[in-house]
Amino acid sequence: MLASAGAVALVTAVISLLEPHVPLLSLGALYLFAVLPVAIVWGIAFAVPVAISSMLAFNWFYLPPTHTFALHDSANWLALAVYSVTAVVVSELAARSRRRAVIAEQRERESALLAGVSTSLLQGGTVTDELERISARVAEVLGVAVAWIELGGERADEPGAEPHALRVDDRTVGTLYTAAGRTPEATVESRFLPAFASLLAVAIDRDELLREALEAEALRRSDAVKTAVLRTVSHDLRSPLTAISAAASGLENPHLALDDDDRAALLETIRLESRRLDRLVGNLLDLSRLQAGAARPTPELWSVDELIGLALDELGADDRVAVELAPDLPPVRADAVQIQRALVNVLDNALRYSPPDSRVSVTAETVNGGLVVRVEDEGPGIETAELERIFEPFQRGAAAGGRGGSGLGLAIARGFAEANGARLWAEPSTSGAVLALALPTSEVPAEARR
Amino acid sequence: MSGERILAVDDEPQILRALQTNLRGAGYEVTTATTAEQALSEAAMRIPDAIILDLVLPDGSGTDVCRELRTWTAAPIIVLSAVGEESEKVAALDAGADDYVTKPFGMDELLARLRAALRRVAQPGEPVRRIGDLQVDLEKHAVFRAGEPVQLTPHEFSLLRLLATNEGKLLTHTAILHEVWGPQYGEESHYLHVYVSQLRRKIEPDPTRPRYILTEPGAGYRLVDPTSRGNGS
Repeated sequence: MLASAGAVALVTAVISLLEPHVPLLSLGALYLFAVLPVAIVWGIAFAVPVAISSMLAFNWFYLPPTHTFALHDSANWLALAVYSVTAVVVSELAARSRRRAVIAEQRERESALLAGVSTSLLQGGTVTDELERISARVAEVLGVAVAWIELGGERADEPGAEPHALRVDDRTVGTLYTAAGRTPEATVESRFLPAFASLLAVAIDRDELLREALEAEALRRSDAVKTAVLRTVSHDLRSPLTAISAAASGLENPHLALDDDDRAALLETIRLESRRLDRLVGNLLDLSRLQAGAARPTPELWSVDELIGLALDELGADDRVAVELAPDLPPVRADAVQIQRALVNVLDNALRYSPPDSRVSVTAETVNGGLVVRVEDEGPGIETAELERIFEPFQRGAAAGGRGGSGLGLAIARGFAEANGARLWAEPSTSGAVLALALPTSEVPAEARR
Repeated sequence: MSGERILAVDDEPQILRALQTNLRGAGYEVTTATTAEQALSEAAMRIPDAIILDLVLPDGSGTDVCRELRTWTAAPIIVLSAVGEESEKVAALDAGADDYVTKPFGMDELLARLRAALRRVAQPGEPVRRIGDLQVDLEKHAVFRAGEPVQLTPHEFSLLRLLATNEGKLLTHTAILHEVWGPQYGEESHYLHVYVSQLRRKIEPDPTRPRYILTEPGAGYRLVDPTSRGNGS
């Protein structure tokens, strides 16, 4: 309002400056410079009063008799009428183009949003995960403060929110809520929401299909695991059982001529195979504990030679294992029982898959503030392609052939290592298998050293 | 006992050790092998009187070993199979294995199967087979139960003759269909079940509790002498 009056005053002042040099009547056209900007910025509702007040001001200040609204000369009448009509027409044209521009901008925002949603749909993004981002842009497009989208069928009203059902055919795929108070423009709503709803419906359906596909894949994988478990139970539990059963039934058969050495051999078979059974059952339990996330470590400070010693004790201290540790190794922070389980499985693996008389070497060194234990054997080694695969449950390396072992050991070893913030990996090697266990080290607190 | 030579094949060292110790204690001479390749070369070097063969070997299947062995030896083969290896077991029997025991097994069972298998080989082919109360005259196509003649159809007689000449041996469905009905039959095991039950009604004292023709579920049939001990399951 003030700006309109200012514009009229400014043009009136400019005319007074130009009046001595230019024919008076043509100067009336200058008022268009006041009318046009007002029409463009605020629309015709403001432009018309500005046009009228401009004409009144021109009449009052310049047209004879000045300082009256009366007009003597008929030419002046005509000029004033032409100015008025021109001002009104021009301002209407300006206002119309301004409205078009606004609508074009709005449509552009809408199509940009729709394009954005379809792009993320085409690129395989999960639209249902991006609802928050999309809602923010919807709010912008509809000109409301806040908007949010709830997926699914008809929903109860939410307090303080205006619901807009998103429908495709007869199906409600979701509800768009806008903050109550300002309703989106009806034309925008009717134009934008159906298009948006169909896009959203496609996206939701796609997400649903994707989820089902993933579930089917997970099921298929869990079936594969079940088959592997059954095979393990069938073969790996039954082998020691068969040896025990054959040995025990031989011992109790009175018709067999067995000498003391034979009996000792059969008894040893029973003892060894019972221990193997126990280890296998233990491994199955460990694996289920690890998979259930129930293996919470109790970290303490340990020297690595003690941890290796514990593992060798459990294995029955095989004299094939040669341990060589660098002096002054820092203590490691770990759960001794769990790291023992990891090392037992790594060592058992090395012993099992290498020739019966070959050596298994255990070394340890500090690397970049951590401590790395390496177990190397003289077996067939691990193919490069299998360096990671061997850590999956129920997997055996190709070089292992049909030899026994449940394929659980390394999976368990890695599980326990990772639970302790340690890392276990297989290193490429040209000879036997090399497994490395990196343990987090720790400084011995000063008070403990005193 | 008899000093016959047995080849035991298994990749599990402790199973092999228990087998070797017990078989030796039972009076057999024992050689061992842990792989399919080793088994074949061992058998070729010194032909065994019987072979005990694990179905799953590191370098191949026991079935392939059976097939290979059968090209040059008729020595009885007893396969060791585990639950879950049924189809492999039947394949091994079709490939020429004589019998099987299921892991884990007791030595008594294995030794009984072994004795029966060795006895079959030792038995010379006689025209008249006596199995318990049953008398099968292979030449005259006549069958007597406790001295009374039994009327059999030609197919029933062929079936009984096949079972009787392989007394104690497990015959797979495929092998029986093939022998009795001809090479074009091999899969129609329902025929076989019908003929077996007809035959049982004629020769078994109680057809619902057969004592002569025993069913090995999922594998086949075997004819046993109910009056002799340790002759099968």
